[in-house]
Amino acid sequence: MRNIRFDHITKRYKNGDLVLDKLSLEIPGGTFFALLGPSGSGKTTILRLIAGLEEADSGSIFLGDQDITHMPIYKRRVNTVFQNYALFPHMDVFDNVAYSLSIRDVPKDIIQEKVIKTLKTVHLDKHVYKSIQNLSGGQKQRVALARAIINEPDVLLLDEPLAALDLKLREKMLIELIDLQATLKTTFVYVTHDQFEALTVADHMAIMNHDGEIEQVGTPKEIYEFPVSTFVAAFVGTTNLLQGTLHMSDEHCFVEFVGLGMFEVVCSKEKEWMHHGNTIFMSLRPEKIDISKTPLAGFSNALEGIVQSIVYHGRSTQYNVQLKNGEIVQVFEQNEEHFPQEIIDYDDPVFLYWQKENVVLLEK
Amino acid sequence: MKIKENINNFITENASFIFSVPAVLWQLLFLYVPFFLVVYTSVKKISAVAGFDITFDYYQAILSSPYFYIIARSLIIALGVTVLCLICAYPVAYFLALKVNRRWKNGLLFLLTLPFWTNFLIQIYSWVFVLDYNGLINMLLLKLGIIQEPLHMINNTGAIFLVMLYYYLPFMIMPLYSILEKIQHDLIEASMDLGATHWQTLRRITIPLSMSGVKTGVLLVFVPAFGEFVIPAVIGGAHHMFVGSLISHYFLVARDNQLGAAFTIVSGLVLLVCVLLFNWLCAVPLQQLQQKE
Repeated sequence: MRNIRFDHITKRYKNGDLVLDKLSLEIPGGTFFALLGPSGSGKTTILRLIAGLEEADSGSIFLGDQDITHMPIYKRRVNTVFQNYALFPHMDVFDNVAYSLSIRDVPKDIIQEKVIKTLKTVHLDKHVYKSIQNLSGGQKQRVALARAIINEPDVLLLDEPLAALDLKLREKMLIELIDLQATLKTTFVYVTHDQFEALTVADHMAIMNHDGEIEQVGTPKEIYEFPVSTFVAAFVGTTNLLQGTLHMSDEHCFVEFVGLGMFEVVCSKEKEWMHHGNTIFMSLRPEKIDISKTPLAGFSNALEGIVQSIVYHGRSTQYNVQLKNGEIVQVFEQNEEHFPQEIIDYDDPVFLYWQKENVVLLEK
Repeated sequence: MKIKENINNFITENASFIFSVPAVLWQLLFLYVPFFLVVYTSVKKISAVAGFDITFDYYQAILSSPYFYIIARSLIIALGVTVLCLICAYPVAYFLALKVNRRWKNGLLFLLTLPFWTNFLIQIYSWVFVLDYNGLINMLLLKLGIIQEPLHMINNTGAIFLVMLYYYLPFMIMPLYSILEKIQHDLIEASMDLGATHWQTLRRITIPLSMSGVKTGVLLVFVPAFGEFVIPAVIGGAHHMFVGSLISHYFLVARDNQLGAAFTIVSGLVLLVCVLLFNWLCAVPLQQLQQKE
């Protein structure tokens, strides 16, 4: 499968606002790629540029070695699953799915065979001749999917395809999408603002910020565990960001937070911004903190605080702990036992522990 | 208290019915009652003896009269005007609904409705000044030296056709525009995305989805165009009889109410058959389309 490559793409809206400014991006072929970003970050514009629904003001888009920047939309072997499905209301399920074949005058028996086969792939072969109006949200989603994959495109674009579905169905569809991609081996480009969806489906993902810039590209694990900026750290998952000053000696590295003291961290000498006296951010994920009312041994760092609020999530409990300097730190604790040995309540003084390897230092 | 409550309940529960009473009464008094009177007149035998005898003599007279061809002629003209209106209006409505910048849309729609600010008769009479033997066009063409003799452009079927097209065009554009504007833009994008060209998208998505607008527009133009009598009278002169002009002739000039009533009923039936035929025709292609694939 061919890679998609954006080479210095610039795109302005009709009103002159800059959406993408000299954006370069490589989407590896044959993988499930997620574009994650807040609304207005230009991720849908990237999708529309690949589809050919928009044209770039400057720069080039390649599919493999082929320059598709100015290729008309109907010639591209790229199909889209639209956000609101965009099913043709005057046709039934069969005709919607058959559309791309019937406009190419494919023989009827081949159309018939392919439509049924594709509908089977998306588990919709019981509703072949239903009218679109009589379908549920999830079924419409499947029709849109079948319609987009029947012609075996090089790239399948999905624009927030699950936004209109309820949570249970969304989780089910995510798994089905992963299976579908594994079967078809088509490049899937999945646009979403939901980090849970992106982390679930993607082999690789790109995080976009409010300015239409790509902050980071990587596997979900790389992005979650090793974010390169506070934006990524805070947008993907939940994190505690603390601003402090770096203290470096030959063997050890510490961060000093005002009113809290010094905390040991792991420094890498290769990063030029990591030098003594610099102001930096420390990202500490809530699930990487241990919370306890009694002192524990074996951790490289500890903090004291007072429980300010508790949010029970079922599988985990979130504690919001106020530190001495007034800052709030979030902690997630797995609810492993029916009857925990230690019950932490409101206003309890607690210790927070973490290992120095489990934090990420960020320049900005 | 109880009674008042009951009345209140009755009003809230039947509000839609109560508010529709005036309109229904109006329709009854000024449409159905007169219509019944027309039917009555067309079949009532005039005899010295008081009473009511049914006769179909007037219908026979109409069907064998030399004027019967006028129905056919009106039909052909109305059909022609409708088809031409549709051909002219569709691109305009399409352009207005799908291509024009939102900022300009209201202004352009306003321009479209501007003719309605002028009285219908004045609009039609101004065409006389344009098309007349000594009218605007002839004057210009003579001045420019393109023609030596003034052209005869008025008092013929072509002129009637032209003015009817002019007058009825907005009635076709409006319903088409309102239906085309409702078409979700992502349907058109989806069609192109699936490999359809502009033309294929127009034929398979846009036109089928705008069929209800086409239907409304066709009826809005065809039905009044069939009965039109002001435009033929003003533009066509005395020699171009239409259904409308013949009906008014029977009632107002010849004072033959019975024949007039019979003629009205016959032409009304012809119109009804045409509309039913059209409805049937509209339904057929959609079914065929669904069965095709």
